[in-house]
Amino acid sequence: MADLTVSSARPARTVATWNKLSDLTSRWSFMLPTIILLTAVLAYPLLYAVQISFSKFDLMTFGPGDWVGFSNYIKVLSDYRFWDSIRVTLVYLAFALPIQIALGFGIAYVINAPWWGRSAVRALFIIPLVVAPVVAGGIWRMILDPLWGLMNWVLGLVGIPALDWFGDPNLAMATIVIIDVWRWTPFVVLIATAALLSLPKDVFEAARIDGANWWQTLWMVALPLLVPVLAATFIVRWLGAVKMFDIVLASTFGGPGKSTVVVNLFIYQEAFRSLHFSESAAMAIIVLVLTMIITGILLGLSRKLEDVQ
Amino acid sequence: MSTLVHRRRFRLGHTVRVVSGVLIALLFLFPIFWMVLTSFKQQVDIFVSPPKLMFEVSFDAYIKYLERPDIIHKLVNTIIVAVGSALLSIVAGSMAGYALARIKLTGANAIGVLILLSRGVPPIALAVPMFLVARKLGLTDKHITLIVAYATFLIPYVMWLMRGFFLALPRELEEAAVIDGCSRFGAFMRIIVPLSMPGIISTFIFSMIMAWEELLFALVLTNRDATTIPVVIAGIAGDTDTGANWGALTAMGTITVVPVVIIALLVQKWLIQGLADGTTK
Repeated sequence: MADLTVSSARPARTVATWNKLSDLTSRWSFMLPTIILLTAVLAYPLLYAVQISFSKFDLMTFGPGDWVGFSNYIKVLSDYRFWDSIRVTLVYLAFALPIQIALGFGIAYVINAPWWGRSAVRALFIIPLVVAPVVAGGIWRMILDPLWGLMNWVLGLVGIPALDWFGDPNLAMATIVIIDVWRWTPFVVLIATAALLSLPKDVFEAARIDGANWWQTLWMVALPLLVPVLAATFIVRWLGAVKMFDIVLASTFGGPGKSTVVVNLFIYQEAFRSLHFSESAAMAIIVLVLTMIITGILLGLSRKLEDVQ
Repeated sequence: MSTLVHRRRFRLGHTVRVVSGVLIALLFLFPIFWMVLTSFKQQVDIFVSPPKLMFEVSFDAYIKYLERPDIIHKLVNTIIVAVGSALLSIVAGSMAGYALARIKLTGANAIGVLILLSRGVPPIALAVPMFLVARKLGLTDKHITLIVAYATFLIPYVMWLMRGFFLALPRELEEAAVIDGCSRFGAFMRIIVPLSMPGIISTFIFSMIMAWEELLFALVLTNRDATTIPVVIAGIAGDTDTGANWGALTAMGTITVVPVVIIALLVQKWLIQGLADGTTK
């Protein structure tokens, strides 16, 4: 309003352009801080990473040197350690994600039984969720310690001999899956409880009147209604889980040998231990592209699943 | 008769659910309980089998660490970075969220999608170039570097959540404000922000927690002056030379976890809402 009175003395067309311009500025000014910030700290570093990945890294200037085309990519793609780290990541994801989703929705069903303490029990699941992943790794490293850990002692009570959680490659993988499941299942529980509470009651009533048993109700009524939430939760968890780093660093540190070196840890070590910045950048870009492709596929699948119903 | 059996079975099932629900919750809390318990043990009470539940309470682990000036310094760093990055992200992210929810902007939706896509960017793909750029500009080991680095994942999160909050507000509010002579920004500050305070506060707190826990960027972009507590903990956990220092690990872990748990429980209702919206919307 203020600039209307000020500018009304000007010729009509200038006023119109002026107003349009100031209107446009005021609209975009809301986006501006975010655009500036994310260009500086997200877009620019990413482009820089792409540049590094196509260059020979110059340790003298500590920056990208000569352009070398795809040779860094060829180098890392023929590096078995990179493939190993991808395989480790995929094994971890293949176990951790389905377990978290199934356990999370199962627990949500159990704790949704109506009673006076229900919301308190639900609130308890917030607690593991705010434990820093690095702390979670540390705590479990202590609990699973082969000599003094609580877990082996408890297993001993039921007659299971002490397990070497960090010394055996398969058990070490189980270790990071256990820690990740402990840290992230509560997240799924909280989302699932909200989803279960919002399910329409009358559909279940109808199923009961039609004589459907518990199992039929679950498969034919509850699950189809939950598909959108299940799919969304899976995708959000997938996007979180591919970033796996902290827990491994604090618990197994990639060992024994290289059996739990997830791809992020491998790239980190290549960059900051071995100073192979070009190769690291190339690997990071490959992981980025793979993540985007798989996320795209997952989104497409979830849309298709929803359409089927 | 059959309804009676049915009802009894229902009641039994109900009791089983309630009891096992409580047990599962306690099982999930146990590791945290065990960490807090261990943090008050002396070394001799930690490395024993069978594990001790009763022991002489000791504050040694805390005193030993909190006496070190560098640890206090790192705690302060963590607070500065967490609050700073959450503030920066809530301001920029809410404005962007508002733009996406309410303002007609050609191309803004594409930018919004692009920002959302950034959730798929592996942090290591940013950490490597950020380290190199920060090193060149002499910005390593500075709070501001970590603060803007955390904005990379906090802003998209805030933007998306706040967009949801703003969409849920009735449109008539701003229209009335604009008719009353408010500028667009005035309407946002005077009408929208106060009304969305619950959402803003819970999003702010959640952002703070995410920044408080972050490890990778802190590991890469700091080395002494701006180091945060997660880096210290990773150091203790990864220290295999001096053997497992569980006292220190659990004490530092407790210091990191307890304040966050208290804050999170205070705003639990909003937090759960935020989680659910952030996933499904």
